[in-house]
Amino acid sequence: MRSISILAGLAVALVFPAWAQGLPRDAAVNAAAPNKTLEPRVVTNSGRLEWLPHAHNLTPWPTLSHEDRRPAPKPRKVRLAGPLDGDAARGRDIAVRPDKGYCIACHQIPGEEWPGTVGLDLRGFKQRQYADAAVYQQIFDARVNHAQTVMPPYGTNNILSEQEIRDLVAFLQSLE
Amino acid sequence: MKRIALLLWLSLGLPLAGANDAHREYDAMETYEPHVRGDQSLSGSYKHWAHPGKLDWRLAGNPEENWKLNWKFMDPPFNASVHGGHFALDRGEELFRELNAKARFARCLGAGKDGLKGLRARYPQYRADLKRIAGLEEVIEYCAAREGRVLQNGSYDNSAVSLYVASKSNGMPMRVDVGKGVMRDAFERGRKLFHTRAGKLHLACSSCHTHKVGLQLRGSVITTPYGDAVHYPVYRTRYFLQSLHLRFAECNLDTRTQPLVPGSRAYTDLEVFMTALSNGYPVTVPSERD
Ligand code: HEC
Ligand code: HEC
Repeated sequence: MRSISILAGLAVALVFPAWAQGLPRDAAVNAAAPNKTLEPRVVTNSGRLEWLPHAHNLTPWPTLSHEDRRPAPKPRKVRLAGPLDGDAARGRDIAVRPDKGYCIACHQIPGEEWPGTVGLDLRGFKQRQYADAAVYQQIFDARVNHAQTVMPPYGTNNILSEQEIRDLVAFLQSLE
Repeated sequence: MKRIALLLWLSLGLPLAGANDAHREYDAMETYEPHVRGDQSLSGSYKHWAHPGKLDWRLAGNPEENWKLNWKFMDPPFNASVHGGHFALDRGEELFRELNAKARFARCLGAGKDGLKGLRARYPQYRADLKRIAGLEEVIEYCAAREGRVLQNGSYDNSAVSLYVASKSNGMPMRVDVGKGVMRDAFERGRKLFHTRAGKLHLACSSCHTHKVGLQLRGSVITTPYGDAVHYPVYRTRYFLQSLHLRFAECNLDTRTQPLVPGSRAYTDLEVFMTALSNGYPVTVPSERD
């Protein structure tokens, strides 16, 4: 059954090809599916590679294809407007969830095992006494502070909403 | 239908052809020696795994330090357990015999009077019949098609045949010449791609594999790009058999970047780049990785 739907999906993909949407032809997509992005699945003892729908649509961002002529979003300077109004508990949740901020992939925060060491240790963050606006900018788009940073531009690339970034700022500023 | 597609294309305003003046960002463009010893000046871990026969077991037993062996302790002969890679190797041998029944398949792959010996160590290479540079898996797909069989690049059976072919070069140093001509151009394109920021998280391969080697991403320690290509296709405990291009797709997906299909030009350029960074290191299959 599944293989039938995959075949149908491929047939649609051929009728409605990736390039029709400005996507490079060598991107693994089914342009007609809601999420577009496909992920490979290796089937034992088979000469065919299966492609399954991926959980997220990754097509809006530039790929490594030589055909891809789409720009990457430029660094964005932002101003934190009004009171912070963030929720530290929600912020913590966003920091640990792989489908959200997943800050712990690179950073250490209190109470998490297997922390990342790519970024700085964020334990005791409050003692660093940064202004909320500076922390907001770092999360929204760290390139403004450090052009070569590996920290993802969470706001500019729509990884997190403005409110979610406010929640994260509240969370970090609560770390004694 | 066609009209909808055209409208979408126009409304997105994303032409495929024309000058590539779109804003893209790159990591600091490092230089790499097309030989495993280049790692001496990158991660410095090379001294620990340079000699496959002399791995330091104390490092392997220490979870903080075992990355310095570049996971080579998971390669034969250290990893003596029977794993999925061995079954794939058997399958590959069987498929190879069927495909080569008329002795055409091996010749198509480029086998000379030494047969399959040394073949793996010379891929990727320029193929005059394909009019482009191709990795071993792409050529397996092409040559199998000429025998009337579908062995899609990245499929289990394709990688199984690749593994069998590679096993005939076991212990022989990788030697892909990227010193001149189209191979040099491909190496340079691959190097540039390796430093190109892409995807939703806006990361380049080098953001991790060059600039953060030895640091931890959650549970995994990031390793050097040197010396990896020699153990592909690799048996992954989660993915079964994985070709190098599928590993690229995995790292793309992990960093929320739209993956490309195996055999795409960009992945082939990355393969040329990464394979050249394995020059001088022995082919080692079947290997296993977590
Ligand atoms: C891919 C790795 C990575 C991820 C994921 C990441 N960061 Fe960072 N972060 C860094 C690095 C590296 C730095 C060091 C400064 C720089 O390069 O921008 C940093 C710096 C910071 C700083 C400044 C710390 C200081 O004391 O100056 C804050 C705050 C921060 N990150 C918060 C976050 C939050 C919140 C998240 C999750 C939404 C996150 N980071 C996700 C890599 C990462
Ligand atoms: C966010 C960090 C990150 C980025 C970006 C990244 N990788 Fe990886 N990659 C890893 C980690 C972690 C592993 C597993 C540990 C290791 O072997 O280094 C890995 C493993 C690999 C391996 C397998 C190594 C082996 O021993 O078999 C290859 C090959 C690879 N990456 C290539 C790439 C390429 C090519 C890119 C760019 C398209 C890329 N990676 C981007 C983190 C990353």
